[in-house]
Amino acid sequence: MNTRTLTTVAAALAATLALGASGCSGGRDGEDSARDGRGSAENPATANNGAVVGGAPEKGGTLTVLSNTDFTHLDPARNWVMGDMDFGTRLLYRTLVTYKAAPGAEGGELVPDLAEDLGAPSNGAKTWTFRLKKGLKYEDGTAITAQDIKYNVERSFSPDLPGGPDYAARYLAGAEGYQGPAHGKHLDSVKTPDDRTIVFELRKPFAEFAYATVLPTFAPVPKAQDKGPQYDNRPFSSGPYKIESYARDKRLVLVRNTHWDPATDQVRKAHPDRIVVTMGLKGNQIDDRLIASSGADASAVSWGKMRPESTPKVLTKADVRARLLAESSNCTEMVQMHTGRTPFDDVRVRQAVQYALDREAIVTASGGPALNDAATALMPGSLFDGKQPDTLKIPLTGDAAKAKELLKQAGKPDGFATSITVSNGDKGVGEAIQQALGRAGIKVTIETVDPSAFYDTIGDTENRTDLVYTGWCPDYPSGSTFLPFVFDGRYIKEKGNSGNHSLFRDKPTMQRMDEIAAMTDAQQANQAWQQLDGEILAKAPTAPAVIERMPLLLGANIAGAYGHTSFGGQIDYATVGLKDPAKSAG
Amino acid sequence: MILYLGRRLLGVVGVLIAIAAVTFTIFYVLPADPAAAACGKSCSADRLAAIRAHMGLDQPVWRQFADFVTGIFTGRTIGSGQYTLHCEFPCLGYSYENSQAVWDLLMDRLPVSASLAFGAAALWLGLGLSAGVTAALRKDTLADRVLMVGAVAAASLPVYFTSVLLIYGLIRATGLLPYPQYVPLGSDPVQWASNLLLPWLALAILYAAMYARQSRSSMIETMAEPYIRTARAKGLPRRTVVVKHGLRAGMTPVLTIFGMDLGGLLAGAVITESIFGLPGVGRLFYGALSSGDQPVILGVTLLAATFIVLANLAVDLLYAVVDPRVRY
Repeated sequence: MNTRTLTTVAAALAATLALGASGCSGGRDGEDSARDGRGSAENPATANNGAVVGGAPEKGGTLTVLSNTDFTHLDPARNWVMGDMDFGTRLLYRTLVTYKAAPGAEGGELVPDLAEDLGAPSNGAKTWTFRLKKGLKYEDGTAITAQDIKYNVERSFSPDLPGGPDYAARYLAGAEGYQGPAHGKHLDSVKTPDDRTIVFELRKPFAEFAYATVLPTFAPVPKAQDKGPQYDNRPFSSGPYKIESYARDKRLVLVRNTHWDPATDQVRKAHPDRIVVTMGLKGNQIDDRLIASSGADASAVSWGKMRPESTPKVLTKADVRARLLAESSNCTEMVQMHTGRTPFDDVRVRQAVQYALDREAIVTASGGPALNDAATALMPGSLFDGKQPDTLKIPLTGDAAKAKELLKQAGKPDGFATSITVSNGDKGVGEAIQQALGRAGIKVTIETVDPSAFYDTIGDTENRTDLVYTGWCPDYPSGSTFLPFVFDGRYIKEKGNSGNHSLFRDKPTMQRMDEIAAMTDAQQANQAWQQLDGEILAKAPTAPAVIERMPLLLGANIAGAYGHTSFGGQIDYATVGLKDPAKSAG
Repeated sequence: MILYLGRRLLGVVGVLIAIAAVTFTIFYVLPADPAAAACGKSCSADRLAAIRAHMGLDQPVWRQFADFVTGIFTGRTIGSGQYTLHCEFPCLGYSYENSQAVWDLLMDRLPVSASLAFGAAALWLGLGLSAGVTAALRKDTLADRVLMVGAVAAASLPVYFTSVLLIYGLIRATGLLPYPQYVPLGSDPVQWASNLLLPWLALAILYAAMYARQSRSSMIETMAEPYIRTARAKGLPRRTVVVKHGLRAGMTPVLTIFGMDLGGLLAGAVITESIFGLPGVGRLFYGALSSGDQPVILGVTLLAATFIVLANLAVDLLYAVVDPRVRY
């Protein structure tokens, strides 16, 4: 697929998505009730979705970010957490391509960043060429070169710098076994014929490569500034801000990078003069401070999700509710069943679980309907033109009678006993699942695991429980970053397994995935993924449960804020600023 | 005296190495894998192996431990390939989670925990001892009963309860104090104290209650000793009898637990620091536990052990000062 098609498709996609999103904020109640089979009132938490909150910001002032935690990684080679990628790529470093700075579905559109365009594919989308803009500079005024982007791609392979996105490893030719630029070893598949041109040779056609170049792997790092693992504490800026000080887990202070030229950047607005991130605060204190929004807190935003217990305090007050963002995180949480073990090797047993599940109860256990949507398909709404279809047509509270009937057909009229692993924080969800499946005669034992050990535990395919409760988030708005990760049997690993926790090894599904991946027409591929979603759901390797929202509170002096759909609903740091900079703390 | 001190210090080193060995083994047999945690989502087996090798996790456990102990005394080089890090003396390892040497992390957090510990200690010693001594001297009067009932009540309140109560009373309802944010003593002593006042109170209430009870019983026992009777009989003023003869001997058991308490707190008050959002050693430890950051867990454990062992030593030496009967 060439660039023109990609842009057209993105625009078309965005247009349809926009329709869906505007529907969310009102006017489509009729359809909502039809879908739910019950009269659901409009969700007060999502009133701001698709809109910019606080109007246009003024230049200047200090924006404060109140956070309960430190960033996982700000080193662009290692940054692979939605919110951290937002913060890093919108403030500190630029990538070849980035997402448009816009609320709602328009945020899924690509725009050139360091590159002049969205890249030129050739050789059947196996070769991608990007040309850098003129006049791009780092924080010390030196020029950003194509070689620096190549260098960061290479260092992302180093075992000393783990944690980053693996798209480069997955797609670049000759990347197998490569371990970074140590001892002068370089990747021949990344070519830099001159300072402003970078060419990527892929091992297979990849029509969506431009989406991958949004990832921080494709940000520039000058070799002279690279300090290995320590670079994480002081990434060198190519964006509108540079780091003044960074005390890990305490405080990060950003100040303007005077060498950043807004003329080269159509995305970042860089309104505040300073951005201060205060870390290690308790979640409920952050909520209280932002609800009160007094003094300097009026110029603050929250980094982490609002606590479910703060919901009533926020939703009952119109002035506070108006300062709440609740964009979808686009992550689907599912009950994943071990399809390799009895009785879950029988599709009727798995369907019985789908029917028995009470998604309304899970929504309640996850913090209520204001902050969660019941899932009605596998892929989140962003991959379905804005809204998930109701593929299964099962009532949200479940259908125990139908589940029992399916169990009877499967030769289990009296049900059976099984167990589920949930993360500590999801104990309530586990209980909701236990109760719902109990109605159909499936006795569930809940095993809770500490979050730090959760993925190790469920990744051990030999010793794990039959059921696990976990989800997946697409890396960018394409079915190719969801379905293959969760349902391709060839990705399964005996230990350290991730994504495909139903251990689903279905030949027709895998064959179809390969066919879709080879499609060069993005729109055709998009529809094919959506269709495949329904086909997989009918084979019931998982039972989709909820899609969480990202509720974020804003101070009263905040302007230009919206949750960015492509960054998991985190505030778009490219545009957020202050109404009145004079009111912020120096 | 010097011989005694030398012998004790040797013992301290032995105890610390033993603690390090036990901690090391515990985390080695636990299922948490720091390499897998660092590797992130969809980590390939090859990459995991490379990361394990870089972190030195592919070495046998005795080898890793030997490297660790050597590093403490001589410093060591960590990592292989392109980025080798030199971890200087005293090297307690490198935190892959925080991208910093564990020693630097600890030294960065220590002032916060020390501010919290010493401030709270001053408060609880003052409150606890005066309440305890007063109650002891007025044994079985109304004042004694009121003080002791109060102490039992305060001692039975867990710190997370008092903290939440204080936060509500002094911050949320009245706005008398700010949400604590650590301000270094050197940059603004007034801000330092006013921000720490709440956590000090939360910690001190619990300890003061225990110290009041401890010092009361100890004082009652001492005041019944024959030498106190002798001192009284000689006609010494009551003040001299209580302070010079009674208090000095009566404080020895209190001093013992004080050494342990202060030593433990210096290495971080996990709950208090977490509740008030203070970036001290305790919160570092809590974060390391939940992310499986093994080098930091080991470092904090060793730091805590060091403080407790050293505080014990200091207390033993102080006995000689406080109690004239003790000599080394």
